[in-house]
Amino acid sequence: MFGQANVLAQGEAVFPPSVEDFYLPSILPWGAENSYWFTKITAMVWLAVGVLIIFFLASYRNPQLVPTKKQWFAESIYGFVRNNIAVDMIGHAGVRFAPYFTTLFCFILLTNFFAIVPFLQISPNSHIAFPAFLAVISYVMFIWVGIRHHGAGKFFKNSLIPPAPWYILPLLIPIEFFSTFLVRPFSLAVRLFANMFAGHMLLLVFTLGGFAMLNITPWLAPVSVLSWAMTVALTFLEFLVIVLQAYVFTVLTASYVQGALAEEH
Amino acid sequence: MAGDQNPRPSGGPDDVPSGAGQGWTALSYLIAGMLVWGFIGWLVDRWLGTGGIATGIGVVLGMAGGIILVVRKLGTPN
Repeated sequence: MFGQANVLAQGEAVFPPSVEDFYLPSILPWGAENSYWFTKITAMVWLAVGVLIIFFLASYRNPQLVPTKKQWFAESIYGFVRNNIAVDMIGHAGVRFAPYFTTLFCFILLTNFFAIVPFLQISPNSHIAFPAFLAVISYVMFIWVGIRHHGAGKFFKNSLIPPAPWYILPLLIPIEFFSTFLVRPFSLAVRLFANMFAGHMLLLVFTLGGFAMLNITPWLAPVSVLSWAMTVALTFLEFLVIVLQAYVFTVLTASYVQGALAEEH
Repeated sequence: MAGDQNPRPSGGPDDVPSGAGQGWTALSYLIAGMLVWGFIGWLVDRWLGTGGIATGIGVVLGMAGGIILVVRKLGTPN
């Protein structure tokens, strides 16, 4: 981040932006090369965890019958996830998953939102490690829940053998296996990661592009201004993507849990 | 929202995945079908040296399988 600001100040913006721009300098061994133990990304993840814990603790510390503004806000988030995701997707058995879904939704929403917060301006989810780990949690959870509910044999039979005549089963079982046990975690992780990666890249292109054009000739200044105006517009688009992806991730996790709990197909 | 729904038993047979989930499921079946059987076809191609015929057959079969799965699992909520 500092590197980039310096570059802009010196008037030699590196254009086009590359994947390198996602690897921020190390903080704890200050400026160390190739050390990724504590970077801005790490700091933001912990910041998100801290903010969420403190926010929900503070909102629910002294619950009022007539909610305060903060309590109302926390309750509407929880109520939204519980009613519109957990209960809608899973049914009444979904209520017991609502706390996890709320945590998941809030964490993804907040870490995504860092992408457009001034000075943070990058989402930890633009590194595949974080979405991948969240996807692993969802993956293990829906398998675990299914095995707990049905027993291992019936769970795998339910999820691998679709209702179809026996002679097309050999065609269908590999597809079921692939789409349930291989594609799900992968697509969950990649969908979130790619959206946040592309969003950050897009903003970089339009911001740095403005500087790059300005550096070539002042005559391009109007185009630069247009490019920066596009950045503002894209930031709003990015906000849409941020909320949508947090929602989609949670809904799909709920949908997988629902599939694991379903009796028949 | 929650109040106006009939109480559903935990994971009853009427629990069809709603909206978004259903859409992604359908999409993933179609793509997974083509990928899985396309890949198997490709392996057969490499094994027998049939230069792409098996891959083509595999993709078509996989597509058919994907469609059958979508119809079977999402088409008739009974």
